[in-house]
Amino acid sequence: MNQNKEYAVETFSLTKVFCDLWGRTKVYAVNDLNLRVRYNEVFGLLGPNGSGKTTTLKVLLGLLHPTKGKSLVLGGDATDPKISARIGFLPEESYLYRYLTARETLDFYGRLFSLPGQVRKARIEALLEMVGLKAVANRQVGTFSKGMARRIGLAQALINDPDLLILDEPTTGLDPIGTRQIKDLILELAKRGKTVLLCSHLLADVEDICDRISILYGGSIQAEGQVKQLLQQSNKTQITSQTLSDRTVENIRKLIEAEHADFEVTSPMEKLETFFIRTVTEAQAGAVPTSGAVSTTMIGDFLAAEAAQKSILDKLVSADVSDKSVPIIKTEKPTEVETPAVEPDKELLGRLASGPQLSQPVETSEPTETKETDTRKVRDDVLEQLTGSQDKPEKQDQTDADQAEVPDA
Amino acid sequence: MRSIWAVARNTIRQALRMKIAAAFIVLLIILIPVMGLGVTGDGTIKGKLQSFITYSLGLVSLLLSLLTIIVATYSLADDIKQRRIYMVLTKPIRRFELLIGKLLGVILLDLLLLVPLSAVIYGITRYIPVHNNVTAQQMQTLENEFFTARASIKPPEPDVTAEVLQLYERLKEERQLPEGVSYREIIRNLTQLKKLEKQAAGPGTELRWQFDNIRITDPNQSLFIRYKYDVSVNPPDLNIQSAWLVGDLRQLPMIPEGPGSIYPFKRRDLIRTFHELKVPAYAVASDGHLEVAFLNLPTNNTVVIFEPGEGLELLYKTESYTTNFIKAAIMIFLRLVFLACIGIFAATFLSFPVAILLCLAVFCTAAISGFILESFDYLSPDVGTIYKFTVALIIQMIPRLDRYNPSAYLVPARLIGWSLLAKMAALLVCLQSFVILLFSLLIFKFKEIAKITI
Repeated sequence: MNQNKEYAVETFSLTKVFCDLWGRTKVYAVNDLNLRVRYNEVFGLLGPNGSGKTTTLKVLLGLLHPTKGKSLVLGGDATDPKISARIGFLPEESYLYRYLTARETLDFYGRLFSLPGQVRKARIEALLEMVGLKAVANRQVGTFSKGMARRIGLAQALINDPDLLILDEPTTGLDPIGTRQIKDLILELAKRGKTVLLCSHLLADVEDICDRISILYGGSIQAEGQVKQLLQQSNKTQITSQTLSDRTVENIRKLIEAEHADFEVTSPMEKLETFFIRTVTEAQAGAVPTSGAVSTTMIGDFLAAEAAQKSILDKLVSADVSDKSVPIIKTEKPTEVETPAVEPDKELLGRLASGPQLSQPVETSEPTETKETDTRKVRDDVLEQLTGSQDKPEKQDQTDADQAEVPDA
Repeated sequence: MRSIWAVARNTIRQALRMKIAAAFIVLLIILIPVMGLGVTGDGTIKGKLQSFITYSLGLVSLLLSLLTIIVATYSLADDIKQRRIYMVLTKPIRRFELLIGKLLGVILLDLLLLVPLSAVIYGITRYIPVHNNVTAQQMQTLENEFFTARASIKPPEPDVTAEVLQLYERLKEERQLPEGVSYREIIRNLTQLKKLEKQAAGPGTELRWQFDNIRITDPNQSLFIRYKYDVSVNPPDLNIQSAWLVGDLRQLPMIPEGPGSIYPFKRRDLIRTFHELKVPAYAVASDGHLEVAFLNLPTNNTVVIFEPGEGLELLYKTESYTTNFIKAAIMIFLRLVFLACIGIFAATFLSFPVAILLCLAVFCTAAISGFILESFDYLSPDVGTIYKFTVALIIQMIPRLDRYNPSAYLVPARLIGWSLLAKMAALLVCLQSFVILLFSLLIFKFKEIAKITI
C-alpha cells in the first residue's frame, strides 16, 4: 500500500541507552543504528546474545523509547493504530493469557484488530489448522508446552494478514517440522509481497530464508548485505548429479587434474532436519496418537492466497481456496534426494576456518542458492567466520563467535 | 471502540477464571441467605430486618470493594509483569483504550455481581416478614417504619454567633479566659456551649421546634419525630418522662379537627437511645407548617438536651422502599467505580503487591476519613497546623466514603435523595475518579512498557 516510500522499516541513528538507578549510562543496547528494510524482502537481523536485536525491535514497535534518533515503520509510527493494524509481531517468547483457550486467544487478538466476526472466525479456524492446534483449540493455553505456545504466538501474529511481519527468534522452542513450516511460511509470505523482519541467532534458519541480513554486535551493524553475495565462494565450483559410475568419476578426475585442482568425491548425507521430518510424517501417516501439536502442510488460506487475486474476504468466504495452500514438506524433498557430492569432513572444516582459499570441492557451476542443502554446512562455517572476522576489534565477540562455532560444526 | 470492548471482555473473563473472584462469589452466595435466617437484632421483626440489611449490605460492599481493588490492580499490573502487554500494545489499540477497556471490564464485572446480589438481599428482606408470620398490624408498622423511604427534616440550627462574641468579650473583661488556648478553639467551645443551651430544657421547662414546607402526599400517612435524649444528671431509672404537643401550635388553644390538629403525647423513654413519635399527617397545617413542643416534666429533676444535629428530626414518607433500595445499590456501585479507578491508577506505575497495598490504604482511609479529620481538631495548635497542611490535605483529596454508607439510610428507612446521589456521583465519579483516570492515562502514555533486557 504505502509503497511510495522505499523502505518498510527505516531507522535514523537509533540509539538506546540503559541507565542504572542514578541515571549513569550503563549499556548502549543499540548504538547509532541505521537499519533499512525494503518492501517485500525478508530481512534477517543477526547477532550473538545481547547484541541489541530484541531491543531494536522493541524500539521499532514503541515498547521502548529511543534515547536518540528515530524510526519509521511502514512510513509512520508503529504505535499509530493505522500502522500497527498492518504489522504482525511475535515477541521473543509467547506471552499469553493462561486462562484463555487457544481459540479464545486468537479471538481476543482478532478483536483487537477490529476484524468483523465472520472474517475473524474463518481466520481463526484457518490459523489453528495451519499451526496444527485445531485438536487442542479448546484447551487453556496455560497447559501448552513451549512449542505449542509458540505456535499460538505465530498464529496471533498472522491474524491480521500483516503487510509487515516482525518476528523475534521465531523458531525457538519449535520442533524441526514447526521450524521448517515457519521458514516455508515466511518464504510464501515474501512471495505474496509481504515484508518480513526477523531476528535470530540460528544461522541456518536465517540463511535459508533471508534476502538480506545485518549482523549486529554491540548495538551497531557489523556487516550487511545480500545473503548470496555475502556467502558466495567465487573460487569454488560444485557439481551435483545422480550416482555416477566409477569410470565416469575417473574421467572427471582426469579432466580436473588437467586443471591442477584438488577435489574429493563422497556420497551426499541427508540433512538431519529432512530425515526427522520424514520420520514424523510417516508416523503421522500411520496415525500414531499424540496429545501435542500436529504438524500440517497447510498454510492459512488467507495467507497463501496470491496477492493479485481476489480480496482476502472473498477468499475466506469461498471454500475451495484450500487447494492453493502450499504443501510444506514437499518443497525441500526434491532438493536433497538427488544431492550428491560434498560433505566436508572435520579436517576440511578446520581448513575452512583458517582460510577459505584452501578448500576446493568439485566444480562446474557456482554453488549458489539453487541447491541450498548440500553446501549448507560449508556456508554455515563461512557465516560464522564472517561474524568472527567482522568483530575482531572487539575481544568479547571473538569468544562469542568461537563458542557458537562448536555446536554448529 | 471494538478493541476497548475486547479488552473489557477479556478482563471480565480473567476475573471470573481467577480463583479469588470465585471464592468471593461463593462466600457471598452462602453468607447472605445464612445471615437472613440467622440474625436476630433486638428480637423484633424490625430489628431483625435492620440487622440483616446492615450486615448483608456491609458485607457485599466490603467484599466487592476488595474484589474490585484486586481485579483492577492485578489485571493491568500482571499484564505488564508477565509481558503479555507486549502483544496487546503492538496491536492497533491506543494505550488509553487499553486502560479504559480494563476499567470498563472491572466496572461491568461489578455490575454483573452487584445487581443479582442486591436483588437477593432485597428479596430476603421482603421474605423475612412472611417467614416469621407477622400479623397484619405488625406488617403495617413495618410498612411505616422499615419498608418505606422517609424524608428527614431537621430543625434549623440557631445562629449564635452574636451571643458567642458577646460572651467572649465578657469573659475577656473578667479575665476568665483559659490560658494557652487559641482564640479559635475558645470560640468553637463557646459556640458548642451556646448551641447546647438552645437545645436544653431544665426541669419543668419547654422547648419548641418549627418546621416548614412539609409536603404530605397521602393524608392517611404518619409522620415520625425521631429523637434522642441526653441528660446532665442520669435519672435513677435512666428514663425521662415527658409531654409533647405536635401540630399547628399557632392556633393554640384551639384544637379543631382537620389539617393542623394538635396531638398531645405523654411519654416515658430511655435516655441516649433513639425513639420515634408517630403522628398522624393531619398535624401538618395546610401551608406545610408544623410545630413540635417538648415539656421536661419537673419530676425528672435533670436537664434534658437534644444534641444539635441529631437530637431531633422529623421523618415522613416520600418514596417506596424499592426505589430507596435501588439507590442504596447505586451508592455501593459509585464507590466501586472509584475504587476501580484507583486500582487501575496504582497499577500503571506500581507492581501488583505495592499497588494493592496503596489501594487498600486509600480504601481504609476513605472509610474513616471523617473520623481522622475530626481527630486533628483535638491536637495542640502547633502540631495541628502541621497536620492540617500535610496529612489533612492528602486525606481531603480522598473521598469520604463514610458519608455514603447505604445502611445508614436503609436502617432508619431514611430517604436517599436524588440530590445526595447526584452529589456523590459528581464528586466521586465525575471529579475524583476522572482526575485519577487522567493521571493514570498520562503516566501510562509515557511509560516505557518493555523491561530492560540486554
